[in-house]
Amino acid sequence: MQVSNITKSFGPDEARVTVLNGVSLTIRKGEFVSLIGPSGCGKSTLLKVVAGLSDADGGSVSINGKSVAEAARRKAIGLVPQSPALLPWRTILDNVSLPIKINPAANAGRTLRDPKEILTSFGLGKAMDRYPAQLSGGMQQRAAIARAFVFDPDILLMDEPFSALDEMNRDQQRMGLLDFWQSNQKSVLFVTHSVPEAIMLSDRIVLMAAHPGRIAEIIDVDLPRPRNEALYATDAFRDLEGYVRNALRKVMEAAHV
Amino acid sequence: MSDAMTANPVQTRKTASPVARLVGSWLPPAVTFVIVAVLWQVVALNNPYVLPTLESVGNSMASDPHMYWANMLVTCQEIVIGAGAGILFGFLLAVAMSELPIIEKAVMPLIVVIMVTPVVAIAPALVVAFGFGMLPKYIVTGLVVFFPMLVNSLAGLRDVDQKALDVFKTLHASRWETFRDLRLPGCMPFVFAGLRIAMPLAVVGAAVAEFVAAGQQAGLGSLVTISAAQANLPVTWASIALLCLLGVVLVSLLALLRKRVLWWSDADVIGR
Ligand SMILES: Nc1ncnc2c1ncn2[C@@H]1O[C@H](COP(=O)(O)OP(=O)(O)OP(=O)(O)O)[C@@H](O)[C@H]1O
Ligand SMILES: [Mg+2]
Repeated sequence: MQVSNITKSFGPDEARVTVLNGVSLTIRKGEFVSLIGPSGCGKSTLLKVVAGLSDADGGSVSINGKSVAEAARRKAIGLVPQSPALLPWRTILDNVSLPIKINPAANAGRTLRDPKEILTSFGLGKAMDRYPAQLSGGMQQRAAIARAFVFDPDILLMDEPFSALDEMNRDQQRMGLLDFWQSNQKSVLFVTHSVPEAIMLSDRIVLMAAHPGRIAEIIDVDLPRPRNEALYATDAFRDLEGYVRNALRKVMEAAHV
Repeated sequence: MSDAMTANPVQTRKTASPVARLVGSWLPPAVTFVIVAVLWQVVALNNPYVLPTLESVGNSMASDPHMYWANMLVTCQEIVIGAGAGILFGFLLAVAMSELPIIEKAVMPLIVVIMVTPVVAIAPALVVAFGFGMLPKYIVTGLVVFFPMLVNSLAGLRDVDQKALDVFKTLHASRWETFRDLRLPGCMPFVFAGLRIAMPLAVVGAAVAEFVAAGQQAGLGSLVTISAAQANLPVTWASIALLCLLGVVLVSLLALLRKRVLWWSDADVIGR
């Protein structure tokens, strides 16, 4: 996926605010990229532009060499919103099967996954026939992630999928996503506020600065895979965490001057 | 009642026996009704020109059940056809408005004008236009329920979960798919809120239609006006009681239907 020179601003002419200014980014096939930065720097806006939910004022996005509109038509984009956004009147299984049922013309020539199998691998095998309201927040969010993986999109976009969860649950869901992703490497653009989460999951971390939103630094995460909890305790992890936190602090201080 | 469903083993209090629970939920309203009935009898026995006694109302119903039944059927017909059409049309127009905003812009001002015009004032004009048949009564009954259905359905169709809508958009869901799988089921809580307002109004609408668009003198509303004019209080109050019963039945049926359709929106009900 390629994002080149995206600009976007909001507001009427006199009070126009530039939210994204010349953002360029390439995500390779099967690469996990995290987007981190101060609140309001335009992470969600960038994700919306990439998802085709909002139009940029300038620049272009291409997914596998095709425009976002074309990618959407082919169901190439999997979205995991901040809240699970499951349909309360459908069972978990029916919720996860929904992307297969919708826009069926785009199903041709792709390897759809078996919803039951994917739910089982997300640890929701016993919850398939239940309704979202009967599940915990963490389980709901896992179902939302399963829903994005089930139709085998080219790229997954996740906007702080774990932000509504408490710390313990959050870590559990994060490791679940890590496990699943390590055995199904897909291109992912993952927005987060958590430095350890970004390091644990990503191949690269994109650090954004605010006013206007732009990329300040791209940090490679050269930690071996497959990863697991043990990584938190390593020096390499701690060093990198210190580095990212420091870079983040600099970006935030610069914004206040 | 919901206590029983959410009862949680850890904090269970000594559960009351079913008989005790039944008594607990029925006794208080029953006492209220008995007190009202006694007061009624006291007033009726001392002021025969203000209220009829309860026996005289009961006797009136028992002596001519066919007459009441026939009139009730007429009122029911007005409700089923008139309110049914009003509800359906209100909902369909809401769908059209939410799918094509231009329709809302074009039609909403006219609808507001119609809605602020008192129905009671339109009715005689409808009789002149459509004659003394049932049509003016259907229209009056339908008009009364139309607006709450339109407004509530429209609010429901607009209240779609934005995050779920984003997921649908990235899947390139067609308009029809988005409507069928997201907007339509999602708007049902609002539709039922609209129905909850519309149902009692339907009875009011039918009664008012019979008062003002007299035409053929039939229906419980007509029965009220005719008998009141003749100071035949037992018939008046028997008819009022039946109108009230009609409203209660409609609201109860609606509650049953809501439980079937909308089980997912009440957290308590899901835990079956
Ligand atoms: N529809 C909109 N209209 C006007 N301004 C907007 C709109 N959407 C976003 N903005 C502005 O754009 C800026 C970036 O918003 P965005 O939601 O992308 O930030 P973010 O990086 O995702 O923040 P957070 O970390 O808090 O989620 C904010 O200043 C916000 O006020
Ligand atoms: Mg955001």
